[in-house]
Amino acid sequence: MKISAIFASRGKKKVRKGRPAGPWVTARKTVQYLALLIFVVLFVQAQRDGWPGNVVNLPMRLDPLIVLGHLLASRTFLAGSAVALIVVLLTLVFGRAWCGWLCPLGTTLDLFPLRRWRGDRPAPAEGWRKVKYLLLVATLVAALLGNLALLFFDPLALWFRSLTVALWPAADRLLTAAEALLYRIPALAGPVSTFDGWIRPLLFPTAPAFYRDALLFAGIFLGVILLNLLAPRSWCRYLCPLGGLLGLLGKVALFRRQVDEECKGCTLCTGICPTGTIDPARGYRSDPGECTVCMDCVEVCPRGLNVFKPGLLPAVWQPYDPGRREALVTIGAAVAGVALLRSGLLARREPPFLLRPPGVRETNPDPAAFTKCTRCGECLRACPTHALQPSVFDAGLEGLGSPVFVMRLGFCDYSCTACGQACPVQAIPPLGLEQKRLQVVGLATIDQNRCIPWSDHKPCIVCQEMCPLPDKAVQLEQAEIQEADGTRLTLQLPRVVRDLCIGCGICEYQCPVNGEAAIRVYVPEASTQF
Amino acid sequence: MTKLTRRDFLKMGAAGAGALTLGELLAACGQALSPAAPPAEASRLPAAQISPALAAVPATGTLPPPAPTEAPVPTATSAPGATPLSLPDLAVAHGGEPEPMVRLALSAFGGMERFVPRGANVIIKPNICTALPYQYAATTNPWVVGTLVKMCYEVGAGKVRVMDYPFGSSAEQGYKRSGIREQVEAAGGEMAYMTPLFKYVKTPIPQGVDLKSIEVFDEILKADVLINVPIAKDHGSTRLTLGLKNLMGVVLNRNTMHVNLGQRIADLASLVRPQLTVIDAVRILVANGPTGGDLNNVKKMDTLIVSPDIVAADSYATGLFGMQPDDIAYIRAGAAMGLGRKDLQSLKIQDIPV
Repeated sequence: MKISAIFASRGKKKVRKGRPAGPWVTARKTVQYLALLIFVVLFVQAQRDGWPGNVVNLPMRLDPLIVLGHLLASRTFLAGSAVALIVVLLTLVFGRAWCGWLCPLGTTLDLFPLRRWRGDRPAPAEGWRKVKYLLLVATLVAALLGNLALLFFDPLALWFRSLTVALWPAADRLLTAAEALLYRIPALAGPVSTFDGWIRPLLFPTAPAFYRDALLFAGIFLGVILLNLLAPRSWCRYLCPLGGLLGLLGKVALFRRQVDEECKGCTLCTGICPTGTIDPARGYRSDPGECTVCMDCVEVCPRGLNVFKPGLLPAVWQPYDPGRREALVTIGAAVAGVALLRSGLLARREPPFLLRPPGVRETNPDPAAFTKCTRCGECLRACPTHALQPSVFDAGLEGLGSPVFVMRLGFCDYSCTACGQACPVQAIPPLGLEQKRLQVVGLATIDQNRCIPWSDHKPCIVCQEMCPLPDKAVQLEQAEIQEADGTRLTLQLPRVVRDLCIGCGICEYQCPVNGEAAIRVYVPEASTQF
Repeated sequence: MTKLTRRDFLKMGAAGAGALTLGELLAACGQALSPAAPPAEASRLPAAQISPALAAVPATGTLPPPAPTEAPVPTATSAPGATPLSLPDLAVAHGGEPEPMVRLALSAFGGMERFVPRGANVIIKPNICTALPYQYAATTNPWVVGTLVKMCYEVGAGKVRVMDYPFGSSAEQGYKRSGIREQVEAAGGEMAYMTPLFKYVKTPIPQGVDLKSIEVFDEILKADVLINVPIAKDHGSTRLTLGLKNLMGVVLNRNTMHVNLGQRIADLASLVRPQLTVIDAVRILVANGPTGGDLNNVKKMDTLIVSPDIVAADSYATGLFGMQPDDIAYIRAGAAMGLGRKDLQSLKIQDIPV
């Protein structure tokens, strides 16, 4: 069908109910775009050499789900996380206004409503709204048991991670490709060069970022947007765990939508509501746990009967709100899930290449689960060499989305403390440079079967040259070697000094051997000291 | 906003593709018109502006007769064609602050105007290998670089950019932590980045003995004047990193250089010809280079070596480490290729106590 139908539907545009306009909607949209702009600017500045970490990670600390999850998992409350109370307070007064007015993912979903593609398809059953509450319960129960993997689905983390890993590098790549094409035209080389010199420092890192699983993360983000095909803001209605948390708070919000007795049931507001919570069966009342305070209904009502005003009674418990049984089943499932993941850890050895950011091994008892990490992605964004990558399989399901070093893609800069400064919850300890240089991420080991001087008997000392340690953790040993034909030659063979190596990985990154490096950083023993 | 019809979209697409094809064609023509010789190499400095003494140093792609290294002339002054001004081959300033040392050493050659024509597009290439403060002697002294920027502008340079591609950190961090950005920007210069990667163009090396072509950052080749400002320091594979070695910073894939490194550095230097080499030996790193990191391995020398002859400058600098020019493979290779002279006895060296 569908392409022709899409093009044909263009003519019918006027027939569709127009989007409401008016001072409230204008105000809301202005705030939305402004907030999105601020989030994007903070994202851009979150790369190294941008603004200070505690400024750029403010969005994550504003997020009550991230703060609550971290509180339950780490049993510590950080003063910096108190800003989340602003959002809690906002919700207690105005309901889910965060979702309708501020959330960057919500605004992104509003920017791609996919209205035309959705057509008149009916929304999924109301019961699906339950999912977000159950996801919330599971997230918090797992957090209490020391597992924050489900924060993978926090909307801010999702948005931020998608931008970091997929969208921003893609934009960089596209810009570079376009420039490269135009640069070949002699007359344009100068202007392209000037333009690049202006825009790149503003938006992109000097060295292009590459993330292993960019396509996967792009797919997840695209999937969240494509959910709009089912119903407007499907993510916010059915899945968002932060939406669930704010929805529960919103049930007792002070201001909530109320319908005047004089309502004649014209259903204009029912049709316009982006979360579909204005129900004729409930006398056109809405669920404050679902309403995002977008004010569309206020503007659309021809008689001005939709108003937000103070009310003190808690909202009615809806059929789709989780019941006791469902809550208990979810809690049970979460406990069982965490326990099963644990038992898996006991059964196998620690992954040998699970390289955590500097200081994590010393401050997190279980580096595989990385108990304190909220999966927000700030450290991935801050890492100047893009060596920190989001884990998909490296650390098992329990480590989903947590940062791991992939030294073949980058290295831990000896003079950098960016990840620790960027982490909003100090899961990566905020160390000074001198302290950070003492943190052992792993140890380098040489694969003598692939190393050029060891196996090919050709000179190469790149790893020694690159080693940033003042006393060189890679040392060269003079050796006389007899070839098969009897000729003798003197070679410099690299060796790792275990007591000096901190596992920064620049040797692995720079190793000229193709594919997997002939010198690799790994975790020799499953303990915090090695 | 009027909606685009499919027809219009296709039309615009076709027009865009046509324009790009045309551009490609133009680009192809542009390349076909210029001979296979490395771009801008010969035209970097107008011949009239090269002083006679400098003209002795090969600035074009032609190999000079092997005379200079073996000619039994005691000093360059008596060499035929030498200027009556009797300019030195090499100047060494020592014992002062960086700025007066740079200024006095250059005045021995008749000042910066001998190297930088008015309106010239100048690139200064220091060594910013990693993000360590300059005290560690892993990166070029910021005041040496800053003074050079100032002096270029004083003689009317059009644009002065400073760039390097650090391997041990991001360029931003290297520029900042080395202290070089601050001094360059205070002098009115621009810290430019050696990205994006498409600006590296595969360039043939006609004189190359081992390396026949390499991807070089094209701005370096396009510049009117290239000033090479290495710091003298210890280096794992080449023993010392000096002027010739510093040129490695302008190529994209340094891994390919590492086989037969000494010869390949010289090959690269036959393509990338700095008009002036200023070796910063204010502080030198005597062990565990090129990054170092231990102040105990840093030696304060308060010395600056300036020469239009990159091989001569490097040869002199080996003495700071108690070595001979022949100890360094790339100096041997460079002299053999006629890129400059390594026999210190035959050079006219001006010693400048500050």
